[in-house]
Amino acid sequence: MKKSIITIIFLGISSLLEAQYNDIRIPEALYGTTFDLDIHESLKQIKSGTQTITGSINNETFWGPTLFINKGDNVSFNVTNNLNESTTVHWHGMHLPAVMDGGPHQIIPVGTLWHPYWKMTNDAGTYWYHPHLHETTEAQITKGVGGLIIVKDDVESALPLPRNYGVDDIPIIMTSRNFDASNQFSVGRAYGDYMLTNGTINGQITLPKQVVRIRFLNAEIERGYNLGIVNSAGVTKTFYVIANDGGLLNAPVAVTRLPVHVGERYEILVDLSGETSTLDIKAYNSGQSNSFPGGEPIPPNFQIGQIGQNVQFTSALNNTTFNVLHINVGAVTSAPITSIPTTLATNTYFTAADALISRTVTISGGQPAGNPFVFDNNVFNINTINKTITVDKTEIWTIANTPNAVFGHSFHIHDVQFKIVSRKLGTAAATGPANYESGWKDTFFISKGESVSFVCRFKDYADATHPFMYHCHFSQHEDDGMMGQFVVTGTPLGNTNYTPSTKFKLYPNPVDTKLFINLEDPLADIYYITITTLEGRVAMMLPQPQWQNGIDVSNLSTGVYVLKMMDKATKSITSKKFIKK
Amino acid sequence: MKKKGWLPILFVCLLAFINFSFLTNSNEKLIKNFTLKSVDNKKVSLNDYKDAKGFVVVFICNKCPMAKLYSERLNKINEKYKTQKVYLLAINSMDTLAYAEESFKLMQKKANKDKFNFPYLQDKKQVVAKQFNATHTPQAFIIWKHKESNKFSIKYEGTIDDNAAEPEKATKHYLTSAIDDMLQNKPVAKPKTDSFGCRIFFRGEKQNMY
Repeated sequence: MKKSIITIIFLGISSLLEAQYNDIRIPEALYGTTFDLDIHESLKQIKSGTQTITGSINNETFWGPTLFINKGDNVSFNVTNNLNESTTVHWHGMHLPAVMDGGPHQIIPVGTLWHPYWKMTNDAGTYWYHPHLHETTEAQITKGVGGLIIVKDDVESALPLPRNYGVDDIPIIMTSRNFDASNQFSVGRAYGDYMLTNGTINGQITLPKQVVRIRFLNAEIERGYNLGIVNSAGVTKTFYVIANDGGLLNAPVAVTRLPVHVGERYEILVDLSGETSTLDIKAYNSGQSNSFPGGEPIPPNFQIGQIGQNVQFTSALNNTTFNVLHINVGAVTSAPITSIPTTLATNTYFTAADALISRTVTISGGQPAGNPFVFDNNVFNINTINKTITVDKTEIWTIANTPNAVFGHSFHIHDVQFKIVSRKLGTAAATGPANYESGWKDTFFISKGESVSFVCRFKDYADATHPFMYHCHFSQHEDDGMMGQFVVTGTPLGNTNYTPSTKFKLYPNPVDTKLFINLEDPLADIYYITITTLEGRVAMMLPQPQWQNGIDVSNLSTGVYVLKMMDKATKSITSKKFIKK
Repeated sequence: MKKKGWLPILFVCLLAFINFSFLTNSNEKLIKNFTLKSVDNKKVSLNDYKDAKGFVVVFICNKCPMAKLYSERLNKINEKYKTQKVYLLAINSMDTLAYAEESFKLMQKKANKDKFNFPYLQDKKQVVAKQFNATHTPQAFIIWKHKESNKFSIKYEGTIDDNAAEPEKATKHYLTSAIDDMLQNKPVAKPKTDSFGCRIFFRGEKQNMY
């Protein structure tokens, strides 16, 4: 007992001694309308000693590039899975067809190119992409697969806001990790002993002495961050929330503390113009309520890196205040932003009165400890559609973490941005959302004993085949089945009784670069194309392909392939072979 | 289907355990002879090496970034220990249906490019990996020959050294230390270490491959 206390004190002192800061990485920015993402494994020096195997995208070694996209653009993605296991890539927060969404159904096998595309209709804001393969999400997110998407639009561009990426507009991706004796990520504990800021331990950055914008993403497995900013004189800074998950608020909201839970994004402004020394962004996670993720106490004999059932819900950072980012104040840039704007966007939010349909999702399970949490008493079943939604109808959803709640959760629903209209804790009267979360959201924290209602509309993309997901964004909860799925349905256009012929021809064959499809029936259309080798290895996955212009097969190696065409009306598959020169 | 595929293997393991457990002092796992095709198209068996005291069996593959880091080190290890009748065999047990990069042709290319001075063998049916309980690449084993029988027992399993990316910074050379221990007739000081790399997925088992 004594020995372990000494060990803990020693670890505490040695971590203080180790508190030299490391410059954080600003992920590479990619611009345009076509994005090539190569997901693979690589190595990164995260801790001293052996390098850590990470999941990487393109040239980044932990956490992928930031994709800048303009609202209104048609964007497409060439996602190649070069990991040694299957994955998916989900576009978190995006409004898009379900078949492009990258949920657990859009599995990208090893070596396969997946080509989703859609028209960007989301407002300017901070979104993200990450793996979503059922039962593997925790492991793949732990490796660092994922990245930010920054959407730009005219409203945001017209405002006097910092937007010089990496200079006065800073992405901060927060997560924590555990390492085994070989410095490799260990999976299984809900919380990490080491805080990683953009993949860096003890992260620091130099920011100009002016108003700066920080885009926070909580990319954790489970931990929440109760963020605050303090300067070296010990003065707590007021900072201003300007955007939630789905874009700008109507006006900045001044705060000194900001809880950011798993999956949530908050953009803030902080004025550094009066600062003369350094500042720290900290997570003030001590003394939180017992359903705050990461608030659980550290058991007396706990040691860093320890694993096992009794330490599953603890870490060296639990129930404590710890550094997220050390800020050195540097020189002012040219044309700095010097004041906080008083107004931002003009949002017309849904109200509860707009809703025509109401739904309730009840959280249960988790008891006894270690049992899975579930929605509506059912573990996720990939073959069950839990909800069928009519396109373009406004709905109110109430998520109830009652009556036998055990813990808090981070609720996320795909496809939509919603407006939280009420939060009700226990027997207290219902209130609106806090001002800082009063904007468009796709993810929120629901504490033990709470009911949260939000209003949303499932627009545009009716597809009775492919579902969207709603789930707890704590990846262990999600992997254990705290997830449901819904399809958005609508009246199909045209004659629904007509069954088109699915016959087609491929030309030229053999093909060099572009393969054209000639559908015999002009009324037929293509829902999905999969190109496989003769052995059955998947090479390309093309949801709702823009086949009229031909399919680019130039990246296939020489050989015989099978093109499997699923038609839109009957969802039946017709196959044809072709030879790649 | 899945269970049936496993039963014969379990049965063989059980037989092996019953028949030969008396030969070992501890719970060392026994390895029986295997024959695999090498990148030079020749069949290679443990039994071909009549004078072998033991083998270093390393599971590697073409694509894994971790396995790639060790080519030069494996050449050096083989160079040093083959003169002492401990031979290195590298085995690729990756599922060739799942991974285009693990084809026999690309194995040949890799062996050529990295100038392997040891056989690079394809375990196409993944039976040798199962026999060793190999889980990922690179993962090293030392197997040592029993005087009385054709069997080998596993004397070491784990990592090659403690720094994959920067060989010059490695301070603990677990694999070669274990070979040295064996050659000096000493018990291996650290018979098992943690190793890490790319997981070997076995075809037909529940996994996230398809």
